[in-house]
Amino acid sequence: MMPIFDIAIIGGGIMGCGAALRLADGGMRPIILEQGDIGQGASGVNAGTLSMQIKRVKLMPYAIRGHEEWQHMGDAVGFHKTGGYTLAFNDREAELLHDRMSMKKEAGANISFVSPKQLNEFEPHLAGKVIAASYCPDDGYANSSLTGQYYRKKIDENGINFIEGFKVTNIRSTSEGYEIASNGRTVVASRILIACGGWSKHIAAMLGVELPIRARINTVSVTERAPRLISGVIGHATGLLTMKQKENGTILIGGGWQGKGRPEEGRGQVSVDSLVPNLQLAKFVLPALSNIRIVRSWTGFEANVPDFYPLAGALPNRDNAFILGCVRGGFTIGPYISKLMGDYILGKEPEMPLFDPARKMEEGKLI
Amino acid sequence: MTDGNNDHILRSKEISFIFDGVSVTGHDGETVAAALLRGGITHLRNAPNSGTPRGMFCIMGACQECVIEIDGRKVEACRTTISEGLVIRRVPDV
Amino acid sequence: MFDAIVIGAGPAGANAAIILSENGLKTALIDEQRDAGGQVWRVKSKSILKAPITEAVEQGDALRDRLKSSNVTAKFNCRVWHIERQENGHWQLSVVGDSEKKLTTKALIIATGAQERVIPVPGWTLPGVFGLAGATALFKEHMMAPMRRTIVAGNGPLLFYVASETLRLGGRVSAVISLNSRMDWLKSLPAMLSNPALIGQGLKWIFTLYKNRIPIYWQHAIKAVEGENTVDGVTICKVDQDWAPVAGTDQYIHGENLCYGQGLMPAVEATRLAGADHHYDEKLGGWVPTIDQWGRTSMSGLYACGDNAGIYGALAAPIRGSLAAEAVCEDAGINLKKRVDSKKLKAAKNFGLAATALTIPRSGLEALITDETEVCRCEGIIRQEIDFEIKTGAQSPNAIKSGTRCGMGPCGGRYCMEAIALITQHRTRKTREEIGLPTARPPLRPVTIDDISDDLDYDDLPIPGVSPL
Ligand SMILES: Cc1cc2nc3c(=O)[nH]c(=O)nc-3n(C[C@H](O)[C@H](O)[C@H](O)COP(=O)(O)OP(=O)(O)OC[C@H]3O[C@@H](n4cnc5c(N)ncnc54)[C@H](O)[C@@H]3O)c2cc1C
Ligand code: FES
Repeated sequence: MMPIFDIAIIGGGIMGCGAALRLADGGMRPIILEQGDIGQGASGVNAGTLSMQIKRVKLMPYAIRGHEEWQHMGDAVGFHKTGGYTLAFNDREAELLHDRMSMKKEAGANISFVSPKQLNEFEPHLAGKVIAASYCPDDGYANSSLTGQYYRKKIDENGINFIEGFKVTNIRSTSEGYEIASNGRTVVASRILIACGGWSKHIAAMLGVELPIRARINTVSVTERAPRLISGVIGHATGLLTMKQKENGTILIGGGWQGKGRPEEGRGQVSVDSLVPNLQLAKFVLPALSNIRIVRSWTGFEANVPDFYPLAGALPNRDNAFILGCVRGGFTIGPYISKLMGDYILGKEPEMPLFDPARKMEEGKLI
Repeated sequence: MTDGNNDHILRSKEISFIFDGVSVTGHDGETVAAALLRGGITHLRNAPNSGTPRGMFCIMGACQECVIEIDGRKVEACRTTISEGLVIRRVPDV
Repeated sequence: MFDAIVIGAGPAGANAAIILSENGLKTALIDEQRDAGGQVWRVKSKSILKAPITEAVEQGDALRDRLKSSNVTAKFNCRVWHIERQENGHWQLSVVGDSEKKLTTKALIIATGAQERVIPVPGWTLPGVFGLAGATALFKEHMMAPMRRTIVAGNGPLLFYVASETLRLGGRVSAVISLNSRMDWLKSLPAMLSNPALIGQGLKWIFTLYKNRIPIYWQHAIKAVEGENTVDGVTICKVDQDWAPVAGTDQYIHGENLCYGQGLMPAVEATRLAGADHHYDEKLGGWVPTIDQWGRTSMSGLYACGDNAGIYGALAAPIRGSLAAEAVCEDAGINLKKRVDSKKLKAAKNFGLAATALTIPRSGLEALITDETEVCRCEGIIRQEIDFEIKTGAQSPNAIKSGTRCGMGPCGGRYCMEAIALITQHRTRKTREEIGLPTARPPLRPVTIDDISDDLDYDDLPIPGVSPL
């Protein structure tokens, strides 16, 4: 079969859709193949935090550009620049906060330290137990639920083909390219881009490529509408809490607490053993939460590799095959790094370096 | 709500409680929803977003339309029993 | 740790629990109501000191007595908010309203019963509009009928029960509006003849209405509920065979209450959260867990019985509870003498199916949901927004939910997802099975953080490794 598409993009998350837009812009004819709905993966269920303070130092320049992209998308994705605070409650956390934020500041983030008293003026509902805090005026959030709606519209407007409900079950490489099959349907393309988030390991394996991809199962919860309690995005020095109150009054609580399940087995499950401490921590930080009802908790798969840096580049040992994913804070960075990836596939020099999937990876340090 | 010609139903003694600042009577041990309905009060809150008036609907604790506030907590009127002097607030519009 | 836990203390669940404990299994029975009985045999409020004995009261009391003299650990006023399968195959329930926050069990029977199907029409959110099943809860728990005039509308047998019971309890009924035609009822009679006693009861309800000169509008629907802050009346119209409104047939009926509903659907949130396979079967009321004839689901150690496993009704429920108990015992290696009379079950099931058949949604219902109708009560999302979302590419309830917030509110989508599915079906011509359901998420009911956790000692917080720099 002769390829009809220049590139098949497997996965309709931020990475896949963002790359498709760039590729179409550059003259290629892409097709997006998504197992469920566009944006149903991590891109559509994450906590939506766009925070410089939780970004890794080395990824800061990408995050800054990612922020600009979100700001540009604006209302259509529920973008809000609220500013954000990161809090420390004991000496160890204060030290951690100081060290980390100083480095991020150096890397270009607009971060400053605020005294507990100042914090109390801006966020009077937070617990008075904070001993140190940092602030970034650029921090904010977008509404991840709108990711699917936004990208579906964008790719449609740009005449990009996409098939929802296309769960790739087999990939065959031919002299012309790739034959990608799902339940009796086949799509043929000259190139392939794996952008399957937590499911990418499985897809790469279909091409005989073993990648050390793991999936974290992050938990997020949302409350019913409440009177205004916080105005900015709230984080914790350890990264174990993110909190924001949306325009409609609901409060979104995240922090990367782990649920159960594996990407191959469908959606993950919320585990009470981690949900409860997640919510307890939230209540510790914002005592008024104690009387507000949680209406929903859910999980999403976030992919990573041992060194916790992205996979963005050519798939090892394969021609015309690429992978993009495993970006920590990928919601923030996604719209930007997917453009870089598009440029790379188009044969252009990306504005900033990508992250070679064939690199040697050392286990990232957890402090 | 009415007892109509149901004199053959014997109910517990009447007690009073406060709903949104107004004293309402009901039978000891019945739900807030039943007591309010008997008192002719059906409009309990306004929906967020559309602002339309709401009251008890499913009467089995599922729809969450009947939520009221007791001691700062939101509870379902259809699943909460009244007691003498109980103070109930309307859920404020947000 | 229990050998078996049953969620739902209606006739199916309570009966299952009693049988399990009789066979030596350490069994708990959980219900959010204050005693056993479920919806049909709902326990009376404590405020009712004395009342005439009806058959439902007798049956309910008998069940409650049996339960009290059994070894079942009954947990009432207790709500399950999460269900997790543990690695060893046991089940962990997270609950509020009990001294324990978590309960574990080897076998889990889900018997959560039915929930109501209510088709949104303009004004259905007005105070004074109650679900049909909701009205029966008022009757049974509080022995009271709505004050002033009541309009009763919808379909199926519940309609006539609610109207005649309103009269019996001293209320006034202005009209009964039935989607079903007289013909629909005639057609279902042969199947219902399997239970002459119940047919007799039904005829008595209808006779009561005739005697009281209550107008019955056959093959009519509520087009809109009128009123500013409460109900003033309703606009009704004729419907065709498919229950689509017929133009130019509008009439206005006065009334201050509307009891309104279009049948029962299995309450499957719990079996879905537990992870069991489900399929769509309109004859059974909608989405049901896929079970064998005893009630074993697709997951080992998980069973379902009663209306949540298909709307067969109250008559079949206790028998189905016995069957599920049999399966649990058998799977636990206990030999139990068979007590299920399969002929009785079959008759009960046939009767239930005939009643459910009267409520199967027809294609025209969707047309009653006008552009401006609030479909999602919690979030105030109108039909137009949902149509737009589908037109611009959303193909599944998950996608519609993400884009519009429909179903994201405190009710968890219970009262809008049926309408969403009908609208999606109309727009996309997909089958209900293809459309599917949104992903099940905890909590099963809203919970506060205080409800589910103790106060925190900050230093005890299990802080895992810090995120990488
Ligand atoms: C719960 C959670 C909270 C998070 N919070 C934040 C945050 O606050 N801020 C932030 O910046 N980042 C956050 N992240 C990270 C961010 O969401 C992700 O890094 C980013 O969305 C990844 O995008 P993606 O396109 O690679 O993956 P995804 O969005 O997961 O997309 C992959 C797609 O591939 C599809 N797919 C998989 N297998 C197949 C197959 N066989 N055939 C066809 N299609 C297939 C999937 O259905 C999915 O749509 C969070 C992540 C999670 C899970
Ligand atoms: S009326 Fe529905 S929860 Fe009380």
